[in-house]
Amino acid sequence: MRYIMCLLLVLSGPVAAHSWTPTYPKLKQSFVEGIYVAEMELWNSRGDISYYTFEVFDDNFEHVPWAAEERNVPVEYLERKKINIYIRRIDLPRVRYICSRSLHVKQNKSASLVSSRICSKIK
Amino acid sequence: MFKKILAAAIAVTAMSAQALDAPIVGNVESKCVVTLDKQGVYGNPTASVLSTDSVDGGVEPVVRYDVVIASAYKAVITHPSSFSQSPALTDTVSWTGSTSVEAVSDAQMSAYDTDKIEYDSTTEIDLDYTGSTWFKVSSEADYGVSKALPGGTYTAIVQANCIAL
Repeated sequence: MRYIMCLLLVLSGPVAAHSWTPTYPKLKQSFVEGIYVAEMELWNSRGDISYYTFEVFDDNFEHVPWAAEERNVPVEYLERKKINIYIRRIDLPRVRYICSRSLHVKQNKSASLVSSRICSKIK
Repeated sequence: MFKKILAAAIAVTAMSAQALDAPIVGNVESKCVVTLDKQGVYGNPTASVLSTDSVDGGVEPVVRYDVVIASAYKAVITHPSSFSQSPALTDTVSWTGSTSVEAVSDAQMSAYDTDKIEYDSTTEIDLDYTGSTWFKVSSEADYGVSKALPGGTYTAIVQANCIAL
């Protein structure tokens, strides 16, 4: 099994990954009264992706309003970036998932692209 | 006398230096990493069909999920049901597709294929074991009733989600 795994890793070519941590973030009071913040970290090793966006959802995956310094953030290949997601106090009881999602640029060949989305959970 | 005091002072200093600790702290954090191992390509076997099947000249995209802690995440993969980029289309497109396990780093993960939940164009798999799982996604678009697709670039997006449990 180890040999198969090593072979797959070798054959898989350059790494193109996306990670979003922590898995279970804590919402803390921000510097603005009535606004809470989740401090997240995004890592981009997808060479085909230069931009990420964020989403906040409730238990039923309905959108919850949020704010950040930028809605679509440029993230270089192999860059690790700190992202603050701001949420109003009145929305706190509804917030369940904080997600990051890769954004694609227009293509010039027919392709089935993969958009990755990772969601952390507020417990 | 002075030499004896100096020697005693050096000995005391040396002993206190010896007591210094150098701790190495580690932390295993729950984490999901989604990796695109193979980019998908549509083949065009007939005028009305776009398919990722290798028989049709396409390439099925492969996505790898790495989890550090068991039962902390689920994979939710959605195969395309519309084009994100295409020429103007005047007829309907019917979509088919599927998601299946291509390879695993732990033999127990082979149960993912039987335990998966499928609805609409989405497949959900609880990632119950630590390690890596490779999922391949197939997609096919049939245009009209064997109607020729207009020339141009066609792009559709597979959504690979990793959701904390």
